[in-house]
Amino acid sequence: MGAFILRRTGVMILTALCLTFVVFFLTNLFPNLEKLAKTQGNARMSDAEVVSWLDRNGYGGPMILRYGEWLGVVPGWTREDPQTGEITGRCIDFGMDPADAPRFCGLLQGDLGYSTVSNDEVAHIIGGRLVLTGILMFWAFAIMVPAALLVGVLAGMREGSRLDRSLSTFSIASTATPEYVSGVVFIVLLASSTAGVSSTLSEWGWLGPDGWLGDRNTLFLGSARSAMDGGITFWNFTLPVVTIALYGMGYIARMTRASMAEVMTSQYIRTARLKGVSFRNIVLKHALRNALIAPFTVIMLQFPWLLTGVVIVETLFSYNGFGWTLVQAASNNDIELLLACSIVAVLVVLVTQLISDIGYVLLNPRIRIS
Amino acid sequence: MEPLTWTGQFGTFLNPIMLAAVVVFFAAAILNFVIGFAGIRAGGYEVNDEGTMVMNRTPSDYLLMAMQFAVLVFLACCVGFIIGGIVLPEMAQKGILGAVGQRLLPVWIALIVTFALSITFKARLGLYGKLFNSSIGMVGFGLVMFWVYAALFSAWVAPFDALDQISSLRNDIPGTPTPEGEAYSHYLFGGDRLGRDVFSRVILGSTFVLQIAPLATVFAFMVGITLGLPAGYFGGRLDTILTFVANLVLAFPVILLFYLLVTPEIVAAGLPQYMSMVLFLFPIIFLVTLFNSRFHTQPKRRNLLVGLTVLIGGLLYLSLISDRGTVIDVLGWSRLPESWPDRISLGLFSIPLPQSLDLFDIGGNILIVFVSVVFVNSPTVFRIVRGITLDIKTRDYVAAAQTRGEGPWYIMLWEILPNARGPLIVDFCLRIGYTTILLGTLGFFGLGLSPESPDWGSTINEGRSLLTVYPHPALPPALALMSLVLGLNLLADGLREESLKD
Amino acid sequence: MKDFANVQAEKGLTTHPVAEMYAREHKEGKLDRREFLVRTTALGVSAAAAYSLIGATPAAAQERAVPAEGGTLRIQTRVYAGKDPRVYDWSELGNLSRGIVEYLVEYNRDGSFSGVLLESWEANEDATQYTLRLRPGVTWNNGDAFTAEDVAANFVGWCDSTVEGNSMAARMGALVDPDTGQAREGGIEVVDDLTVRINFPSPEIALIPGMADYPSAVQHRDHIGEDPLEHGIGTGAYMLESIEVGISAVLVRNPDHTYWRDAYLDRIEFVDVGEDPANWFASAEADEVDMTYQTTGDFIDLFDGLGWERSEVTTAATYVLRMNQNNAPYDDVRVRQAVNLAVDPAVLLELGYSGLGTEAENHHVCPIHPEYAELPPLTFDPEAALALLQEAGAADHVFEITSLDDGFERDTADALGAMLRDAGFNVERVIIPGATYWNDWTSYPFSGTTWNHRELGVQILNLAYRSGVAWNEAAYSNPDFDALLDEASGIQDADARREIMAQIEQIMQDDAVINQPYWRSLFRHHKAGILNAEMHPKFEINVHYLGYAA
Repeated sequence: MGAFILRRTGVMILTALCLTFVVFFLTNLFPNLEKLAKTQGNARMSDAEVVSWLDRNGYGGPMILRYGEWLGVVPGWTREDPQTGEITGRCIDFGMDPADAPRFCGLLQGDLGYSTVSNDEVAHIIGGRLVLTGILMFWAFAIMVPAALLVGVLAGMREGSRLDRSLSTFSIASTATPEYVSGVVFIVLLASSTAGVSSTLSEWGWLGPDGWLGDRNTLFLGSARSAMDGGITFWNFTLPVVTIALYGMGYIARMTRASMAEVMTSQYIRTARLKGVSFRNIVLKHALRNALIAPFTVIMLQFPWLLTGVVIVETLFSYNGFGWTLVQAASNNDIELLLACSIVAVLVVLVTQLISDIGYVLLNPRIRIS
Repeated sequence: MEPLTWTGQFGTFLNPIMLAAVVVFFAAAILNFVIGFAGIRAGGYEVNDEGTMVMNRTPSDYLLMAMQFAVLVFLACCVGFIIGGIVLPEMAQKGILGAVGQRLLPVWIALIVTFALSITFKARLGLYGKLFNSSIGMVGFGLVMFWVYAALFSAWVAPFDALDQISSLRNDIPGTPTPEGEAYSHYLFGGDRLGRDVFSRVILGSTFVLQIAPLATVFAFMVGITLGLPAGYFGGRLDTILTFVANLVLAFPVILLFYLLVTPEIVAAGLPQYMSMVLFLFPIIFLVTLFNSRFHTQPKRRNLLVGLTVLIGGLLYLSLISDRGTVIDVLGWSRLPESWPDRISLGLFSIPLPQSLDLFDIGGNILIVFVSVVFVNSPTVFRIVRGITLDIKTRDYVAAAQTRGEGPWYIMLWEILPNARGPLIVDFCLRIGYTTILLGTLGFFGLGLSPESPDWGSTINEGRSLLTVYPHPALPPALALMSLVLGLNLLADGLREESLKD
Repeated sequence: MKDFANVQAEKGLTTHPVAEMYAREHKEGKLDRREFLVRTTALGVSAAAAYSLIGATPAAAQERAVPAEGGTLRIQTRVYAGKDPRVYDWSELGNLSRGIVEYLVEYNRDGSFSGVLLESWEANEDATQYTLRLRPGVTWNNGDAFTAEDVAANFVGWCDSTVEGNSMAARMGALVDPDTGQAREGGIEVVDDLTVRINFPSPEIALIPGMADYPSAVQHRDHIGEDPLEHGIGTGAYMLESIEVGISAVLVRNPDHTYWRDAYLDRIEFVDVGEDPANWFASAEADEVDMTYQTTGDFIDLFDGLGWERSEVTTAATYVLRMNQNNAPYDDVRVRQAVNLAVDPAVLLELGYSGLGTEAENHHVCPIHPEYAELPPLTFDPEAALALLQEAGAADHVFEITSLDDGFERDTADALGAMLRDAGFNVERVIIPGATYWNDWTSYPFSGTTWNHRELGVQILNLAYRSGVAWNEAAYSNPDFDALLDEASGIQDADARREIMAQIEQIMQDDAVINQPYWRSLFRHHKAGILNAEMHPKFEINVHYLGYAA
């Protein structure tokens, strides 16, 4: 087991290196650097100004060296201004004496770099945003996983029954409804003051100044911004959470159903039934544990898969979490922020893969790692 | 003229019936749930001592029958509206539903013909025929074919062009009449924020989705199969490297990848075109290997097939990857500069061939979107094919072929691949659905196809901003996308069920 | 608090021969009130004095309502990362830093200028010399006094055209020495502690408007070229409590600083919910903001529906669809004329901007500009357009029209595309997201650009259509046009200038340099009870004026 984890970790690091280099390469293509210069300098700069800006801010060197700088294996760039003699450099913070600055400042030194768009340390930004997304994901999983398992087990315990068919169709429908469709429909129905149920509720006086549902224009809020300052309420957080959970749910439910159906036809269940164990006991005591092994791996693998959903939902509901940051970083070519985002994303993907593999081994006594 | 009502003349008596059916359905469902708790369950057949069978009916059974009946009545009403739309002469009598039903007449006819023929001959149609044994499969197939036919007949179905504007009908509600002299008397689903017909755009949008999604999936399968078969069959270092690369691509969050690939800057740098050079090569390689491995003992036939593949494929390949005025450009002789340094400075990929060889330029963002979608899907297909190959290569018939002295490529393409078709077909259907969703996601982030294109993702994104006031431009494409993906998923489910019965 | 405009009037700083001439013109009906105000106040006459010249009382808008002390206000706006004010490229940057660093003069909603850190200013008769008098008693929040040294240092900084993206250099005009790229020797003169004199080599009439624009925030003499949000030193009443780019920024009242006049709110939150107006509306519905930065298109009615107060201002802000003449076939004047013939501005106004503006005439001089000359109406003739296009041999050309991806920019360009298609042109649309659009905005073959309001017609023409200037997105180059523009830029008298402007406008139309469908009215919404939050022609929000009704 130890060697297995060690080997996996090695592959993980190699993957992360390759991926960050790809991201670095793509974000450092000249058209992208030009975009960066213009968003940072002035949107309407001339070509000559762009080149001089890039040179002054350390984007002039060869790409591979700059990647090394970012990693922290190549000394950070320094530059002396020909007119003022002022020394600037990658590792020299604002107001710092150039002599005191460290020679290396990259990933290996624990420095994630500087976000050009936000004018702030990347580490500082990423942390808070991850917490926000973590909260969102927690609630999404808290709703999605139990619901999916319930639907899956109910459907799978009597394969082919009417209950199975309706629940399966529901799961299929939920996987066929991407977040941008369900989010849009939810907003129209529940969070619009002019359409959907909110206007009716206002007419009845249930919403509004004296309404027992609260002093709001709409039943649910179409913007989750107020949830960011810790004020998570049922009304501002339900729509984003449900939107994410719904799309992921169908897939887990179908996996659970398949696994449950397989277990229910297996030999030992048949034996138990012939022995006269009640159906309820068979499902709860015998089938459930074995049926949940396969969904466990799927649930872990859902994490990276949900990332796209998180990006959509955070954009749709103005929730400034990790997904939103990723879009901002990508559309503004904020190189170091984007690199940090990709590291986080890659770690999430790889770590969940690892956990799912280990968990599969631990849960399933029939498999041994060679 | 008055705006149309939704249900027209038939609505006066069909609406109450439909409403009653809905009420009955839900009431029965709730009651059934309640009595389920009370311990009353659906009855079953019981075999009596004397050998006859008796059907035990419980209240639950009657409720379930009521539900079935309600669904049938509801569907019958829908059919009634469509028939009314076709039969009744006046627009006001047809109503919106009837008029839509009438516009879709070619689609209905094609669907009826398809189903009638398929069900009649299903015994002779293999896996496709078996599909008609499963109701889920049939519903899925019906939904998919509905959109396929809608796309095929879109020129007849859609009353307006996707870009026709009637400025007086901005954001107008469904059923608004158009001014005199227009191509059709009403905007059936209303107008969008530029006064374009929502109904026509949804129908015409299906052509984009139904061209790009399946084609991109086919390409992804070509790439995945061409790489996955040898990786699984040979194993070793080749497998290690290919698997690592596939996992690398899979570790990328899809959305980050798109943001990195589909931005105008990256497009200006020509990256998608270089990628298309690599990716589009795979179908040619695939077909050449396919024919070569099969017919290398019959050189004449082999040469003909391989030659044709290279010729036609090559021509299409050059047309696909080259685009006038970009980094890869099939230059006409006349447009090639005089001096050699200039020629070299034009870059490696300015291919001096007659201009006429560049059959078509793919406009807008289509090429880029296409390449990115293929790129994202290929590694998953690769993993599936590799897994199946690992499984199948231990089978007896593979060993038999090996002892017969068949080459490895023959075994892979003509022994392993046909036996892997079941799971691959199922995954193909699911993957088209996934690709459709992906295209919509791209549209949602404004990275999609050409901006004015009526494709569903972009239309949803456009309609999103005014959603709370004018839901009608955004909802039809959203529901269309949902129904197509749902159809594909149901179809895949039906196919899986039926292929498991083998 | 004493209204500073009245202070000026009391001091009698009103005499200026040209101003008196304008007053006569106004009385004779040659000048409307707005034009009169723009011209006279630009010469250093205070608004109140200008009103008194024509025997009018200042408009109600000029006398700001006095709000109650205290309160928190949340403004929906973009929050960008701070930077050197000289390279500011968004009004939002100025709105945020305005609470910290102030301006020498400000441009009012009614078109007049009034002093902020300047008490008054005067120009000599041929507008080559400006005397700027500083407001006494203003201090920086680090305790230093605000003196002429500060102003001079800022002028030196503004003239430094070697700083990439310094748009103030262009606004300083001939004060920048073209050889060194720095301020001209002897151009900036410190007369005494509270007086600065600016000497131009040639007449310059756009100095005061240039000093009222958002990049001209006045920094402490030791902090030129630095980001005010970082060093925090300014004359304003507020300080930055927090900023998270793209999310929010908070200004709070600076407790250790005595502001030179009153400020009302305790706390101002700038809330960024992105670029999409749908999100602005969603956050208004969710009660997360109290006022908008701007309300556009269909959302104007929606915000009305929320019961918010609407404020409107007519401006010379516009949307220009131009063909870049470096790209064939747009170098052929017939092709450009054909496009203009095929487009009915009324349709573009209706479809693109919901009719919330006035039709324009393809020459980028607005009826509210003082030097506007009326030309015969434009013709709309799609058939003639197609004939002209065929004559130019460009009937097969595919017009690729590029625009931003949302809002009225996109709708207008879409509508233009539709009109051209109707006339029989081949059209393709390209849409580029906001983040990347501005990378190449001057070089797209055929694209649309939003231009903000400028106070004088010559300002915008100098900025965008003179041969070879950086923002000449049409790649227009015409020596005759340049010569006439030079001439017009040196004439203070509006009537004399108008004669030349008529020729300039005619040249713009004949050369079909741009297609300009409309002038925009701008809108803003705020909750009832918020004072001085009205829309400003240049999107300015002065946090010092804002507050709640008592």
